[in-house]
Amino acid sequence: MSSAVFTLSGPEREAVLTPELAALTERHRAACPPYRRILDAIGARPPYERLADLPWLPVRLFKTHELRSVPEEQVFRVLVSSGTTGQRPSRIHLDREAAAAQPRMLAATIRAVLGPRRLPMLVVDSRSVVRDPTLSARGAGVLGMMNFGRDHTFVLDEQGRLDAEAVKRFLARHGGEPFLVFGFTFMVWLHLRGLGADLSQAVLIHSGGWKRLAEQAVGNAEFRRRLAAECGLSRVHNFYGMVEQIGTVFLEGPGGDGLYCPDFADVVIRDPETWQEAPVGVPGLIEVVSTLPTSYPGHVLLTEDLGVVRGVDDGSWPGKRFEVLGRLPRAEARGCSDTMGQG
Amino acid sequence: MPDDQRATTVDVRFPAGPSTPVEELLGGTAGGLRVGDERVREFLAAFGRRLLRPALARRHPELGSLGFFLRPSELARTVDGLSGEHVRVPRGLVFHVPPANVDTVFVYSWALSALMGNRNVVRLSRRSGTVAGTILETLHEALAEADPVIAATQRVVSYERSDAVTAALSAACDLRVVWGGDHAVREIRRHPLAPHARDLTFPDRSSFAVVRAAAWLCAPRAARVTTAEGFVNDAYWFDQAACSSPGTVFWVGAEGDCEAARTDFTGHVARVLTARGWGVDAAMAVEKRVSTYGLAADGLAERVEFHGNALACVRLPAAAPPPRRWLGAGTFAHARLAALAELAPLVERRDQTMTHFGFGRDELEELARGLAGRGVDRMVPVGGALSFHRVWDGVDLPAEFTRLVTVVR
Repeated sequence: MSSAVFTLSGPEREAVLTPELAALTERHRAACPPYRRILDAIGARPPYERLADLPWLPVRLFKTHELRSVPEEQVFRVLVSSGTTGQRPSRIHLDREAAAAQPRMLAATIRAVLGPRRLPMLVVDSRSVVRDPTLSARGAGVLGMMNFGRDHTFVLDEQGRLDAEAVKRFLARHGGEPFLVFGFTFMVWLHLRGLGADLSQAVLIHSGGWKRLAEQAVGNAEFRRRLAAECGLSRVHNFYGMVEQIGTVFLEGPGGDGLYCPDFADVVIRDPETWQEAPVGVPGLIEVVSTLPTSYPGHVLLTEDLGVVRGVDDGSWPGKRFEVLGRLPRAEARGCSDTMGQG
Repeated sequence: MPDDQRATTVDVRFPAGPSTPVEELLGGTAGGLRVGDERVREFLAAFGRRLLRPALARRHPELGSLGFFLRPSELARTVDGLSGEHVRVPRGLVFHVPPANVDTVFVYSWALSALMGNRNVVRLSRRSGTVAGTILETLHEALAEADPVIAATQRVVSYERSDAVTAALSAACDLRVVWGGDHAVREIRRHPLAPHARDLTFPDRSSFAVVRAAAWLCAPRAARVTTAEGFVNDAYWFDQAACSSPGTVFWVGAEGDCEAARTDFTGHVARVLTARGWGVDAAMAVEKRVSTYGLAADGLAERVEFHGNALACVRLPAAAPPPRRWLGAGTFAHARLAALAELAPLVERRDQTMTHFGFGRDELEELARGLAGRGVDRMVPVGGALSFHRVWDGVDLPAEFTRLVTVVR
């Protein structure tokens, strides 16, 4: 099923992406003054021999600063992340070209597991999440994925209760042919297993993080095992991505052996002590690189997620396969400027 | 536990007791102490002695400093320093609201107030750390040998966020002492005091260090090492978030001297950090990247250098305002001044402690007079930033904790 965006081996990818991203770095340096000031202050300058040599930005800077490489009048769309409470959201500036490229590349990535045609689609959520005028990140995620399906059926009713009738009707129509199931990881875990339905023809795509499942000591292996055992669901693809690199998703391979990078992207796991690239098997902070951010300097980003590369060119698809291990806690200081008034 | 804005009971943590309605708490504290009361002195000294036990002071160095502050001679100096032509009397009931996460602040504030003969109610956060627990245990040990008047007049309480309790304590007290920053002060001020009562507030502050480059370069190596150690204590003890911890280091002198001194200083600080094994975790390391890259993006950092994760140095462009917000533990802005007097226009009301190296008393006093109250309340040598003094934030605490009675015959 491997399609056009999961083709490059580790060394090939390094050879293709390094010069492209190095050129993009210089392009952003010229076009985005705050970015240029950062690079000047940290002394980053070419040549960059390897991907890991490229200067990275902490992803949180997109919450604290407006960073764009196109003049204001060329901004076509501003994406705003959900942001956790008390934090400013990220603001991502896309020009017409970047706005057009990101859904195209997302589609190419997702089609690696769905094939070229739109499949009937079951959404493990409620229709109300896409109707809310102040669209949540969850709503935006569902809406984005709905492009890849047809005959959309929601597993939950407007009140968030399981709509077994709707699912039954959907399966009566489409259950015998390949169909798409999409939902947030926790919602899938919560609602899909209880359906008692035969989902053996389904391709499940899910995302959103493992935090709430980790609280129940459920990891990816257990997630996959139980879905296979209880619903016959064996084609399961998790993905990892963020609004700051919109259009780039890291997709779990067919065997469940890790997240893979599309050809226009890669990850570098960094040791947070030395900031050097960590060897295979050693956890660190996930840096994501992608050629898609052309209108803002988000092509080399240090996330606040911990991850580990499990192998390179040894799995179902070429390139690195990696795992997301969790989120770094926010740093807190014990200072005397504090809100004791809050109790 | 759910917050109940109307809840009216408090947990009495010193002297340990049952959950008590706030009216009962207020009714149950008696007066009867005098300024500098012998019985309070004995109790504080006994408490201080226990804090200085080597095992404890080693585990929590901040308790050692506190014990030192409570030595009988120090207490005597505080009381004796107050003599004057008037009769000094306690204010009455003092309500203390310390910060949640510097565990020792409540003791300094309360101890001085108790020494001045006040009845005290200290609100201790439930979020307070292990050090606060140790302090409470030690207070109880000392209480066992103390005069009963101590137990009758002093209270440490905790309660869930409750407007009713805060309002009752605010209405009843003669003086309210609020530590913990602008937000805490604003929150507490929603609750009215009695007409005669007043607030003593300790809002957000920031601090800096000033070093004469030529003096640094001329200082013997041992002095530079000691100063670097002191600087590390000042900055790292409370993750550089204490209001008196330096954020910016101003170098005074010729450009070449400043450059050389800063490089040497940074090397010494880095060595102290390595020797002591001071490190920061990955979350703090990322925090520092976010804040320093952010300064650079804003044009407020000409250069950002990392010496491992523990030490980040930011060079400010000429005439840039020093950053005053917290940038993550171990992040220092460096700037150059041709002369000490150039500091004056940069100082703001928010600036509290100026730690210094290489200046004479006369020029420091001249600077203080020149600033004329626009900012900077303390000028202390590098290494002394965190040493609590009875004069704090420009306020003579023992004087604030008392009233004066005029007697003319």
